[in-house]
Amino acid sequence: MRSPAIHASTWARSVALLAVLPLLTVAACGSHSSSGGGSSGNGPLTFAVFNPFSGPDASFGPEQLAGCIPAAAAITAAGGILGHAKITCKTADSRGDPADAVPAAEQLISTTPSLVGVLGPSSDEASATVPLFNRAHIPMFADTGQAVFNQSSFGYFYRITPPDDAVGYAMAVYAHQKGYPTAAAVFGNDISSQGSLATVVSGFKKLGGRIVLTQKIALDQSSYRTEVSALVAAHPDVIFTEADPQTSATYLSEVNQLGHLGPFIGTDGTTQPPWLKAVGHAIGATNLKRLYVGAQPYAPTTGVPYQLWLSQIKTVGSQVTQPASQWYGDSYSMAAWDSINLMALAMVAAKSTDPAVYRPWIVKLATASPGAVVVNDFAQGKAALEHGKTIQYVGATGQISFDKWQNSPGAFSFVSSDGSTKVATYTAAQISAAK
Amino acid sequence: MSAAFVYYTTTILVYLGVDILAVWSLNLQYGVTGIYNFAWIMFQAVGAYTAGVLTLGPDTSNGGFQQYILGVRLPEPLPVLVAGAVAGVVALVVGMVALRRLRTDYQAMVMLVISVIAVLLVENVTGLFNGPAGLSLVPQPYGSLPLSSLGYQWFYVALTAVICLVVYLFVHRVTSSPLGRALRATRDNEDAAQALGKDVVQLRLFAFVFGGVVAGISGAVLILFIGAWSPGSWAYVETLVVLTAVIVGGTGNNAGVMLGALLVPVAFNEATRFIPQFGRPGLVDALQWIVIGLLALVFLWFWPRGIIPERRRRFPAGPGRATQAAEPSEVT
Amino acid sequence: MTGSLFVQSIGFGLVTASILALASVGFTLQFGVSNILNLAYGDLMTASAFAGYAVNQAGGSIAESLVAGAGFGALASALLNRYLYRRFVRHGTKLFGMVVVTLAVGIIVQNILLAAYGATFFSYSFSTGGQVHILGMVLDKFQLVIIAVSVAAMAAVQLLLTRTRLGKAMRATAANPGLAQASGIGTEQVTDLAWLMSGALCGLAGVVLVLNTSAFQSTTGNDFLVVIVAAAMLGGVGRPTGAMLASVVLGVVTEVAARFITPSFKEVIAFGVLVVVLLFRPTGIFGQGATVKEVPT
Repeated sequence: MRSPAIHASTWARSVALLAVLPLLTVAACGSHSSSGGGSSGNGPLTFAVFNPFSGPDASFGPEQLAGCIPAAAAITAAGGILGHAKITCKTADSRGDPADAVPAAEQLISTTPSLVGVLGPSSDEASATVPLFNRAHIPMFADTGQAVFNQSSFGYFYRITPPDDAVGYAMAVYAHQKGYPTAAAVFGNDISSQGSLATVVSGFKKLGGRIVLTQKIALDQSSYRTEVSALVAAHPDVIFTEADPQTSATYLSEVNQLGHLGPFIGTDGTTQPPWLKAVGHAIGATNLKRLYVGAQPYAPTTGVPYQLWLSQIKTVGSQVTQPASQWYGDSYSMAAWDSINLMALAMVAAKSTDPAVYRPWIVKLATASPGAVVVNDFAQGKAALEHGKTIQYVGATGQISFDKWQNSPGAFSFVSSDGSTKVATYTAAQISAAK
Repeated sequence: MSAAFVYYTTTILVYLGVDILAVWSLNLQYGVTGIYNFAWIMFQAVGAYTAGVLTLGPDTSNGGFQQYILGVRLPEPLPVLVAGAVAGVVALVVGMVALRRLRTDYQAMVMLVISVIAVLLVENVTGLFNGPAGLSLVPQPYGSLPLSSLGYQWFYVALTAVICLVVYLFVHRVTSSPLGRALRATRDNEDAAQALGKDVVQLRLFAFVFGGVVAGISGAVLILFIGAWSPGSWAYVETLVVLTAVIVGGTGNNAGVMLGALLVPVAFNEATRFIPQFGRPGLVDALQWIVIGLLALVFLWFWPRGIIPERRRRFPAGPGRATQAAEPSEVT
Repeated sequence: MTGSLFVQSIGFGLVTASILALASVGFTLQFGVSNILNLAYGDLMTASAFAGYAVNQAGGSIAESLVAGAGFGALASALLNRYLYRRFVRHGTKLFGMVVVTLAVGIIVQNILLAAYGATFFSYSFSTGGQVHILGMVLDKFQLVIIAVSVAAMAAVQLLLTRTRLGKAMRATAANPGLAQASGIGTEQVTDLAWLMSGALCGLAGVVLVLNTSAFQSTTGNDFLVVIVAAAMLGGVGRPTGAMLASVVLGVVTEVAARFITPSFKEVIAFGVLVVVLLFRPTGIFGQGATVKEVPT
């Protein structure tokens, strides 16, 4: 009984060994190519998306990439930057975990000599990797929401999307304006959901509202019946909420089943297509349309800068994560587009692709100054700069006003269940009323 | 070599050191003693969190944006040593519950459950280790040394190497001694070991605690290097990666598992970073996990004793088993 | 909580206990007969849910999806045993090696689903069938279906094990495979059937789980695995009746914890109960005889 197995296993062993060998070869080749490199005078320039492409926050990476690809294509089409004709986007998967992100960042920096800017990191890996990019003098436009970066000393750190705590305040302001006297806060016990919980509660109380229930729920349970019963018993006028799509779908469908589903306000995490799709299925599209609004960093969906973005994302639509239409009104993708345009223009203005040289121009080009020509994309800005004019970049997300920590906390809008129709918009000053 | 490349290389060397500590730890428990520790990653996490809170100082620093217990700033190298000790104590408690009276298959399940409970606890009790966001901004040890940041990288590599060396002396001492033979005996034939007057439970507990201490130290070395640690880093499937490294390298053989650490978590993991993203986002990562699973299967089938097998010190293969690749980890 | 709400939550509790019972009985049945701790079970549930989803998207009804899920689960599970697990066992892989094999298979299955379907969420399209009021409980009709499916499956398993020759053979194989074989029982066929039944229950559990959660992804079943393992252990591994009772116990404990402590702690408390029980009764509440067995070949 054993002997045929031996023969079989002899050749099978060889096959298995052959299967393992390529892996090792890839490793070896990888390290060879990395020790070479060095960008020539007019080789391509690379912007990297350093974000999770896998794990629970796998949707972050594609969202940033959907801003990078149109920008790189538009810059290439406009003749490139200082003789570098081709501009490319590279992705690096942080896997949403600091222990994976650190070598990923070092690998990205060391094997990409043409790297001139980074989109990222996100909240999952920012505190471990922001210092690495800063040390390597690579400007990064982060999508992290952590409040600790509201005032950070990292010179190469930029953020043009609002921090998580601002999302909470904005939701409180909206609920207050709608005149809801009481509210319940139902948040998943994960990192992205917990980011806005504290400020939505404190903000709503500050504005005179009453929080009747704060629930931190375990994710992906088969049922939330007890939690839902407690919610119903508390009789809130409105629910503040964020959890992953499956959890929210299960929870809200059970509230609906008990016949007590009232208005609910979601964070920016809930304005993503997977969440809206899952919850829409669970409670019915009409209920979702009637009862839901979600907070989103404000980005106009009309006007010249928006049209420039829209036509470019449509041009490269086949290269981004499908369906491309999901990114048309996505303020994080639009912020990524603005970030790349701003960095590229800073290089042109500084006449250098060296981050240490062009970095000061990022803030300068975003700031209004007397006599500055307002430009809305790279091509316009490059032309104006070549004519010796001073420029101010106002992109798809609107005017960028950096504070001294290179943060630009913008306005918030609330969107309905299609993820783009705005029902209210509040400026940063209005939101600060809840602080 | 460009500076950036040196940063990358030194980072990989530190990770290699951490993974070598990891496989020695799990090898002592699983490979040598036959304990089904599916909660291994938890002990690394205990060490990492302990070293983190003992280095960060009070949680009111950094604007109070993190909450955690114990926040003090102990001088080096105390955080690493205490991390090992705390992981050892946790291993003692878990071992007393799981290893004493349970059937071995129950042990595997209990370990799995404990690993999941630990993640749930840390995620839900935010005051413990800052919940799902995890600890961050942990300062690097010996930061006051007059070193360039590149010099510091090499310094940390050397520090990791020294720790590995010291740990190896202890691990080797255990596995090559009569004690090591007793541990193997409990693994290979529990009844026979018992009949020879060995206290099987005590022996298992010893290996479990010793392995726990080493796991804790590995976590401490990692967090003090990268400065952050969160529940995302220690899902229970991470144990499978270390386990695969042990199986690939050579279960029960300290040198073999070192090779496993080099091949699986380091070479294989880093190699996939050079594969450009293609297809759907996350596809490369999914394929990587599939290959890790296949590696474990392929090795268990063809080379169950790994690339560098353990030398059979006792219980020589009988006539009927000569052709059969005897797996050294069998517990009957 | 008002009285009527309390009654309503019991209604939901029945639904959860039904899902957990299906899953944990399937898990423990197979374990009892083959002694392989199948950690790929949760991922097999997800795969079955996707099979049901494919049928549903092609216009199939919920009943057809349930059949598809059960059929897929049964087939996949039986094939997995016959062409992978049993071969490893005959090849000389021992107990713990088999745990690693099943864990690896689970990871592979989960990531194949991830690669095939992507990191996003899916929902069955079906009408919930309106609501039914029974004894103060408000349930969707499809939830009644879940309870009915579970009760029917439990009754069938119970009858099969206690009233048929096959059931006796199965119990004999579970108790002592060597002796069973010596007494003329075809243990291989019995094991095959156990995997088939376990897989069918696994598939049913997968489909009803995602019906109740409304949305699912490639990790949904695996997230549920540890609760299944806990229920199986609490009931005494290899004892279907124990697993049924343990499902109800775990359901009650988690809900009381969610009600009186904090919702995010409910799993922690449930697992804590398991660990404490094992401290005093190492074979679970309903288990018996702490014997260490090897995987029968």
